[in-house]
Amino acid sequence: MSNGSEPVARRPVADATGWVATLRTLGRLLRRGASALMPRSLAARTALVLLTGLGVVQAAGLAIHALDRISLDRAEQQRETGMRVVAIYRSIVETDPGQRDNEVARMRLPSGFKVALTPGPQTADLDPESLQMQHEMRTNLQMMPFPLHLHPSQVMAGANRRQHRFEVSMHLPDESRWVSILFHVPPPNLFSSPTFPIAFTLMIVATGILTNWAVRRLTAPVRTLAAAAEALGRDVNASPLPEDGPLEVRTAAIAFNTMATRIRRFVTDRTLLLTAIGHDLRTPITRLKLRSEFIEDDELRRKFTADLDELEAMVSATLAFGRDSANREPLVPLDLTALLSTILDEAVDGRPDITNQVGFATEPPVVTIKARSLALKRALANLIGNAIVYGGGAMVTLKPAQDFVTVLIEDDGPGLAAGDLERVFEPFVRVEASRNRETGGTGLGLAIARNIIRGHGGDITLANRMPNGLRATVTLLA
Amino acid sequence: METLPHILIVDDDREIRDLLARFLERNRFRVTAARDGREARRAWSAGHYQIVILDLMLPGESGLDVARWLRSQGNVPIIMLTAMGDETDRIIGLELGADDYLPKPFNPRELLARMRAVMRRTAEQIERKPDGDRSVLRFAGWLLEPTRRRLLNPDGVEVPLTGGEYELLVALLDRANKVLTRDMLLDLLRGRQAGPFDRAIDVAISRLRRKLEDDGRNAQVIKTVRGGGYVLAADVERV
Repeated sequence: MSNGSEPVARRPVADATGWVATLRTLGRLLRRGASALMPRSLAARTALVLLTGLGVVQAAGLAIHALDRISLDRAEQQRETGMRVVAIYRSIVETDPGQRDNEVARMRLPSGFKVALTPGPQTADLDPESLQMQHEMRTNLQMMPFPLHLHPSQVMAGANRRQHRFEVSMHLPDESRWVSILFHVPPPNLFSSPTFPIAFTLMIVATGILTNWAVRRLTAPVRTLAAAAEALGRDVNASPLPEDGPLEVRTAAIAFNTMATRIRRFVTDRTLLLTAIGHDLRTPITRLKLRSEFIEDDELRRKFTADLDELEAMVSATLAFGRDSANREPLVPLDLTALLSTILDEAVDGRPDITNQVGFATEPPVVTIKARSLALKRALANLIGNAIVYGGGAMVTLKPAQDFVTVLIEDDGPGLAAGDLERVFEPFVRVEASRNRETGGTGLGLAIARNIIRGHGGDITLANRMPNGLRATVTLLA
Repeated sequence: METLPHILIVDDDREIRDLLARFLERNRFRVTAARDGREARRAWSAGHYQIVILDLMLPGESGLDVARWLRSQGNVPIIMLTAMGDETDRIIGLELGADDYLPKPFNPRELLARMRAVMRRTAEQIERKPDGDRSVLRFAGWLLEPTRRRLLNPDGVEVPLTGGEYELLVALLDRANKVLTRDMLLDLLRGRQAGPFDRAIDVAISRLRRKLEDDGRNAQVIKTVRGGGYVLAADVERV
């Protein structure tokens, strides 16, 4: 039994789901369309919403005003034309019937009016609205103070509002002819005032400027917050956000600063822990180094000492990492060019084999910056050392610009896999190829270098060169 | 029989004291060890020492206090063992008149080399001057701060030097207006840094001149003397 009824029952359901699906698709398309039209910035979006709202309100206001004006203007126009019609009729009816044609010919008429003495009413092509017009005309005639026996015996009126044409025919009481007055009245024009376009434009411009200003002001804290988050990412010791402004902004700033403090404390704790371990390792390493001197087997002692040196290098890098995070060294004016040539000279001292691969790519200009000289030397020496160890050489370019200085350190080595270009800056990360004793470092060098450079308000990035090689780009504040 | 040089070791770690004593004794030194300032003073009054190896981090009275006290007692060379690579400690140590410093963990052979260098300098009376030794030197508008190993140009901008350049400049400044032959310079410099400074003196001089913005052809500060020598031709003032 269910088999028979099922297809019947299913169809409306299927139809309904079809509708829902269609609606959903439509909604999705609309949303997509809207988001495509939506400007990207919050300020522009807010401005768009505000201006759209204001536009709608404006249009509604204008429409209400216009409707009011129109009915007022029309009433006024009707009253005025009514009076004129009556005045024309009166001047004709008060003239002797024989003189009436002359009177009509001599009559000075307002523009748009035509008068004729016709044998019958002339209201043929006019629409039914005419009844209202006839009524109005009769009222007008009754209100005019002139003798009753001169009143028209019959009034016919018509209007063609579409063409703004009106016609009134009044049967003269003392003869068979009619007075037919045809008049053409222009529709009331709202926007005819010469000041209206100026005022309207002024209003639109003023609204636009005010909205733009207000929106920018209101969304400024969001930009500040983004900038602060970016700065915190580069340097945990970045200065805190000002905790002022409207309540919500202040709350956000306080929350952000609290978060920054927690992150800073977390980083400091970890660094302190690392440093403490490093410090504590010094005594056992010293003991081991002394003990190794009592090993009789020369080969064993040599290996022992090499291991200890490696261990020491790691501990010392760890300590340097902690120390440079603390930024204790003062900023002093420093001759960056001399610093770079010092590092390059020290790198090739005693290694005549690489003299031609290490140096300045072009004659460097003399550049003075504010820096922590020992820390900066460590950072740049690390980059140059890496270029020599992994790339077989280091060519340095110094490029001063308006607000910052760029130092390029380039080598012709194998470069790095694209995924490693950023990863190598993480502490204790070493690319696989370098995990051997000859070249493998502690995995802290680049982390330390970036820490130091960021502490100077700059940054280090790595990029592969074409066709091969690596380029380290260091930017520093001038 | 030849008298062995007598060394005083001041370190709070017993193992390090014992191992260092054994190591140095094997290398023909006589060693007395002390664990803190109090023991060091007692040992000092009981003997005569050619060199003191002093740990900066001591329990109670710090190594710096001990160094200051030793300085007031006489001119014994002091080698300070400092925290690893810590600049401030090194600077303070040198300001207080340690003759050399070695960061922990040090290489025992390195310590031995430094001890011998310090003792030779003392014996030869080279570079041993009163405490003014560490004062800032001013010459031709430039400043050299020995404690920080810093060179400042007349505008106060730090101009970094390599280790070799620094040692060379110090050697020249110490003997300002005296002609030094290449051999004399090599001798003076090897006394301190054997390793990295084995390049020709001429190369080092030309680098140093470039840093001092001293035109090589018409050098005014470091002048070349005919017959193979150099002279620092400027008045050196201790500030």
